[in-house]
Amino acid sequence: MTMTHPGLPDSWLWIAIVIMSLALLWVMLRKTNRASVEHFISVEKIPVAGLLAKLFAASPWPLLILKFISVALFLAVISAGLFGTPIPERNLATTLTWTVWWAGLIITVFFLGSAWCAVCPWDTIASWLVKRRLWRRADASASLGLRVPKAWRNVWPALLMFIVLTWLELGVGVTTNPYATALLSLVMIVLATVYMAVFEGKAFCKHVCPVGRTVGFYAQLSMVELRPRHQQTCAGCETLECYHGTEEVEPCPTNLVMGRLTQSTYCTSCSACTMSCPHDNVGWRVRSPAAEAIQHARPHWDEAWFMLGLLGLTTFHGITMMEVWEQALSGFAQVIGDSGQLIMSFSVGMLLVFAIPIIFYAVLIKITQFLIPVGIDFKQLFSNLAFISLPLAFVYHLAHNLNHLVRESRGFTDVLMNPMGRDSLPLSSQEMHMRHMNPLISEQLLYALQAGLMVFGFWLALQILQRRTMESLKGQSEWRSHYLVPGVIFIISVTAFNLWLLVQPMIMRM
Amino acid sequence: MQHFIKIIVISLIWISCFPAYAHHVLGRPSYSLGEDSNTPPSMQVETQIGDFYVTYMAFPAFPKPNEQGRVNLYASRIDNGQPFDGKVTFKVNDDSWFAGEEEILGVQNVDDSVFRQGFIFQKEGDYIITAEFESGGEPYIIDFPLRIGEPAPLGPIGITVGILIFVLAVVNVMQRKRRFQLKAQRAHQDNNT
Repeated sequence: MTMTHPGLPDSWLWIAIVIMSLALLWVMLRKTNRASVEHFISVEKIPVAGLLAKLFAASPWPLLILKFISVALFLAVISAGLFGTPIPERNLATTLTWTVWWAGLIITVFFLGSAWCAVCPWDTIASWLVKRRLWRRADASASLGLRVPKAWRNVWPALLMFIVLTWLELGVGVTTNPYATALLSLVMIVLATVYMAVFEGKAFCKHVCPVGRTVGFYAQLSMVELRPRHQQTCAGCETLECYHGTEEVEPCPTNLVMGRLTQSTYCTSCSACTMSCPHDNVGWRVRSPAAEAIQHARPHWDEAWFMLGLLGLTTFHGITMMEVWEQALSGFAQVIGDSGQLIMSFSVGMLLVFAIPIIFYAVLIKITQFLIPVGIDFKQLFSNLAFISLPLAFVYHLAHNLNHLVRESRGFTDVLMNPMGRDSLPLSSQEMHMRHMNPLISEQLLYALQAGLMVFGFWLALQILQRRTMESLKGQSEWRSHYLVPGVIFIISVTAFNLWLLVQPMIMRM
Repeated sequence: MQHFIKIIVISLIWISCFPAYAHHVLGRPSYSLGEDSNTPPSMQVETQIGDFYVTYMAFPAFPKPNEQGRVNLYASRIDNGQPFDGKVTFKVNDDSWFAGEEEILGVQNVDDSVFRQGFIFQKEGDYIITAEFESGGEPYIIDFPLRIGEPAPLGPIGITVGILIFVLAVVNVMQRKRRFQLKAQRAHQDNNT
């Protein structure tokens, strides 16, 4: 039996549309968008959060304990997947991985940045196996320490992995298959360990991990960041312990120098810099979630593709949970003579949904290139403005995942009590109905959050577009609002489509 | 080095000895219910082929050798939902690298819109059940996996641990070699000076 979650009601849709229209008017009529003075609050000054931040900065043990918990849960997922019940909603592997972790992870990024990477079990297990140390700096000979070949020193492998992961998740149906979920987990451990054993630092996290890169890019929109407390201290530092490490503490695994850090994309929140800095100059601080994507993050060709890929695949997630998708897939399969799990039809559909926003974006960038009177390279403009796709992808991802988390994670405590799902039966229609009717938070609050998120993403995308288009002029031409038109068309189209998806009833995953 | 290889071999044997419990291929387990029960079937696969939606059910989910089992097949037209009422031929083949001859399990007529085929397998292993029928002059062939008995003892955990030990061992050997070469180079330089 298939059950659907209700979509965003029209009232919330119209509220969102009105606010977005006002925001659009304001941005189009505004003459400039100069960099504003940024304000930060050190997390250490915030009650409770400050205590926790100090605790984690003072000793490696709190982080190590979290790593132990994360690894224990991960091993439980593998055991449950391999030896537990095949009923997805009764097995810890599928419920913890896809309903709680994968849906909740994106939400944590907004509040905690890339904190997940610090306790990631794939990396933790790989580190323990290769370095044979719980946390202290390992012997240099533990890994071959080779440099990653130049052709791989980018996020193309991560984008490819993300496409494969999405294909496995939605096409092959790993999300509803505990055994396949466990297999996928084992594959990730092998990949992380091989990379760590062969290459220097955390090359897997930086270039290959689809989760790490997704978290990394979304962390640009997080409300927290790990940065120097005083820039002058870093400017005067000649020893760069954050980069080189100390006798006890590992160097930065993704080769970041704290004094020059302007974006959080590759920070894994591993705490090596906070522990190694002799001046105690590294700490967490609360910031405006817009600042980094609007002005600090530097554009790169491969990263632009990753951000656009994120947008395409995130929207694709939503599309596959619509009844209309299933009908279209079935119809298309009949046309091309596909049968069985309709993998071929699914793959073609996925490729189309992935490619359409990128082609549309590329065409609009070409038009922007014509509109701007300053000569600018297409690749440069493509990379620079691709940041507009980041908030659009992030807010839809959050709004969509909220639906899963709030409506489908009921009953997770039952799974925790019986992680293998021994002697359990599939969800009865009554249980499904109960879950459906009793979300974790009230439905109206869920709708308000979803509508609010969509407005927030729209607003951020407009800000990024205006700021980065202005930068592209390099002061050589006067500002004209019509330079923004192609970018605005892209933002409106994506937001309108994602809002339409949110309004539709969504098929319950498990 | 020999000592190291011994450790690897012993570790691999030890890991291979872990009992591996049966797992599903797709769908739902049997819950030890009677085969004529109207409760969820032991294993269910829903698929689409040509003009038909096909639902395949196997009972029990993980039949043992010499145990009576049954597959049910239900096919309905995509355009009007009309159930298929012709004949279905069920065949079986060994799902291995060196598969043997295909055997016909039986040809079944429709019974209350469902085609039912019983089976008994004598040997453990992975099999492919093939259902064949013809409609509108078009042949329809659908394959479904079926596992008889327990899965192989060297399961995914064994393979993963094997790969990890192999990679770590190779890295260790290479690093030792590197260090040895470095030492030899230094000794050579010292002798020259």
